[in-house]
Amino acid sequence: MSERILGYTDRLSAVPGDVVNFKISAPLGGKFKARLVRLICGDDSPEGPGFKSKNIDSEIDGTYPARQQPILAGSYIWVTARQPFDLPNFTIQAMIWPTLPGNGKPQAILGSYDAASGSGYALYVGEDGCLTFRAGQNPPVSTGVKLLARHWYEVYAVFDAGTGRVTIGHNMMLPYHGMQQSVSETQMLSAAMGEGGRFLIAAWNDDKFAAAHFNGKIDSPRVSARALKPAEIERLRDLPLDVELAQYVVAAWDFSRGMSTVKVTDVSGNRYHGRSINLPTRAMTGWNWDSTDFSWQSKPEHYGAIHFHDDDLYDCGWQTDFTLTIPADLKSGVYCAHVWQKTPDGGKIEDYIPFFVRPARGTATAPLALLIPTASYLAYANQQMISSWWFDELASGKFATMNAVDQYLEEHESFGLSVYDEHNDGSGVCYSSHLRPILNMRPKTDLWQFNADTHLTDWLEKKKIPYDVITDDDLHAEGVEVLRPYRCVMTGTHPEYYSKAMLDALQAYTNGGGRLMYMGANGFYWRIAYHAGLPGVIEHRRAEDGMRAWFSESGEYYMSFTGEMSGLWARNGRPPNMLVGNAFAAQGFVESVPYHRTPESQDPRAAFIFEGIGVDEVIGDFGTVGGGAAGWEIDRADTRLGTPPHALIVAAATDFPDTYHWVNEEMNHTHSAVNGDTNPRVRCDMMFFETPNGGAVFSTGSISYGGALAHDGYKNNVSRLTENVVKRFVDPTPF
Amino acid sequence: MIKIDPTSAHSTALAQQFKAAPFGPYSADVQKLLQLLRWGFVRGRTIIICTTPYQEWRLGRMAPKRGQPVEVSETEIFTDYGAAAWACFRARWQEVVGKPCPVK
Repeated sequence: MSERILGYTDRLSAVPGDVVNFKISAPLGGKFKARLVRLICGDDSPEGPGFKSKNIDSEIDGTYPARQQPILAGSYIWVTARQPFDLPNFTIQAMIWPTLPGNGKPQAILGSYDAASGSGYALYVGEDGCLTFRAGQNPPVSTGVKLLARHWYEVYAVFDAGTGRVTIGHNMMLPYHGMQQSVSETQMLSAAMGEGGRFLIAAWNDDKFAAAHFNGKIDSPRVSARALKPAEIERLRDLPLDVELAQYVVAAWDFSRGMSTVKVTDVSGNRYHGRSINLPTRAMTGWNWDSTDFSWQSKPEHYGAIHFHDDDLYDCGWQTDFTLTIPADLKSGVYCAHVWQKTPDGGKIEDYIPFFVRPARGTATAPLALLIPTASYLAYANQQMISSWWFDELASGKFATMNAVDQYLEEHESFGLSVYDEHNDGSGVCYSSHLRPILNMRPKTDLWQFNADTHLTDWLEKKKIPYDVITDDDLHAEGVEVLRPYRCVMTGTHPEYYSKAMLDALQAYTNGGGRLMYMGANGFYWRIAYHAGLPGVIEHRRAEDGMRAWFSESGEYYMSFTGEMSGLWARNGRPPNMLVGNAFAAQGFVESVPYHRTPESQDPRAAFIFEGIGVDEVIGDFGTVGGGAAGWEIDRADTRLGTPPHALIVAAATDFPDTYHWVNEEMNHTHSAVNGDTNPRVRCDMMFFETPNGGAVFSTGSISYGGALAHDGYKNNVSRLTENVVKRFVDPTPF
Repeated sequence: MIKIDPTSAHSTALAQQFKAAPFGPYSADVQKLLQLLRWGFVRGRTIIICTTPYQEWRLGRMAPKRGQPVEVSETEIFTDYGAAAWACFRARWQEVVGKPCPVK
């Protein structure tokens, strides 16, 4: 596949006066061009409204020198001090839980080795999966015994400069019959080790870069300025350090300290602290975790492990190519930097790099706000479910079908993953950031999340309904204050991931008289955390239950960023029904179906919704997302789960085929009545209810709904119904 | 557990049902057949590659690991997604059953 021009911004949301920095990688050399566009609609499908954007004169218009900027994936720890680890005699040791031993690549555990100069030393898992030590130009020393994946080992290397001997070994924590629990190997080193590079954990140096990334957990790494005996090595596993041996310890890193940060703390007293790069996963069960506690905050000493991956990526760290100071008169909305290069054959490669402009803080320029679900965009960022999910085709009901973005991400493994994916070692991805190109958060891509949400901006523009844009990032940071200026808030089509601050803010808004139009389905489903200090990154754990892409390991349900339990909001006592009446019921991605009005739709309370729509009218038997307004992911009401008792189910869709699958969190015991053709809970409810202080909620219950708005030149009953609701919801008259 | 018998008239009938309606609705037996063909990771198996959005599809195959080129068939180009799904069905049948799908 040909290379792409790519970019990202340092922020997704900006107010007038904010500076947005654009970071571009342009592969063709020479120059690239850029301009600002306001995005109206990104759906370029044959049946859709068509791609629509408006050029906006701005300071970014122009031509820029092209350069390729690299992406350096893989996590590790960099210990700032260097000289203290250049030791004549030493012991390096750690507890490790390797996940990809024998993957054909070296995987460094700790040391100063620099592959570029061939100097320094490192203990690592060799290409063949055996514990190995390398120092300077000496031949590697290997135990010759392959490590088992996902087992805890104590590993060490002991060097005695007086004899020139190095002894390496591992002790397996879980004994198996017929398997040697302790293994060691001793050899003489004839050549000098040399100076090496930075002291790294979970990688080694390749000049100024990190290489040989470790896959798996590392716990309790230690460096001692003495050739320790095996029994002494074992005595240094625990903290506090052995009183007798502490005098020899140069560094003892305790990963259970500062688990919410990138700081790595040396508790030896020498303060040789480090920092983690590319966000390896913290708050992971350690070698000594014994299930006495499941929260790392309650028993941090059992959470002294960090899980490293060779495909971790937090921040690409690209240089800025151009900046935009948001002008005071720039209308709130969805914007993109459109960047492009001409190809030698006369063609063009281009990218649209989105960001969201909101009004000045505390103000509104319209009574309606479109709440852009940026947290959910991050959750899906660069997802590669086709390769990550063994059940992808069973879940989707289709043979796997790769589009150009899927293929590019498959062929270029360094773009970082989504929380739907597994790392190369099969462990789930817990962190996702926007400080990298996100190829599926773009116009002209699949009608999912960002691009599907442009059906809403397109419809609002077409109907000339004034609106502002705000984002999840703003909602999390500023709470209900960001909503207060608006009479009505409209969600995106799939606002699935919510932090507690976000959910609290929306609940306070509706309880305080605000009106909420929930324009999608499977919303408010998963609990996430934003990082308090690091920008642009969320965390999620696939805890306990729900439609999970992967399982969190036992003891790892609590997020490192905040200490909160992750997983479903329904399992955290806040089912989505409490906020929007509906909750995720089923999903299927082959076809969508229409709604039918219910008797409750004739309740005078709901009359405004159906003005101009017949009692027997089929609603939404059309649309660009599956051919119907109800589909893809669907919600249903259930008073047992928190749907308000006075809620009106005003329309419902029930004719779902077998390719729709019921959510598993409602399935307390396995059975085969799980599909749309046999399970009555596979249904989609459209709902309305009033909230305290004159507020109200309208729920579509369907992700496909937005794809029906533009049908027949926007003259259709889904569009009419939506317009009826908007008009009433922006009317200040209390419900 | 049921097995796909490529020589049976029933299996042939199920393949014909899928060919006639590649996106369903599926009978219970076609559902079961598809579950057998779709169980497991697709890496290394035949999948569909959309080579021109909404217009053109081909069969293809991912390499053994991420970071390597996807193999895209040069021999057959489909301008109908249903036809690509049918071709993928036949290829997957061969991969899972070990014998050709009896329906052309």
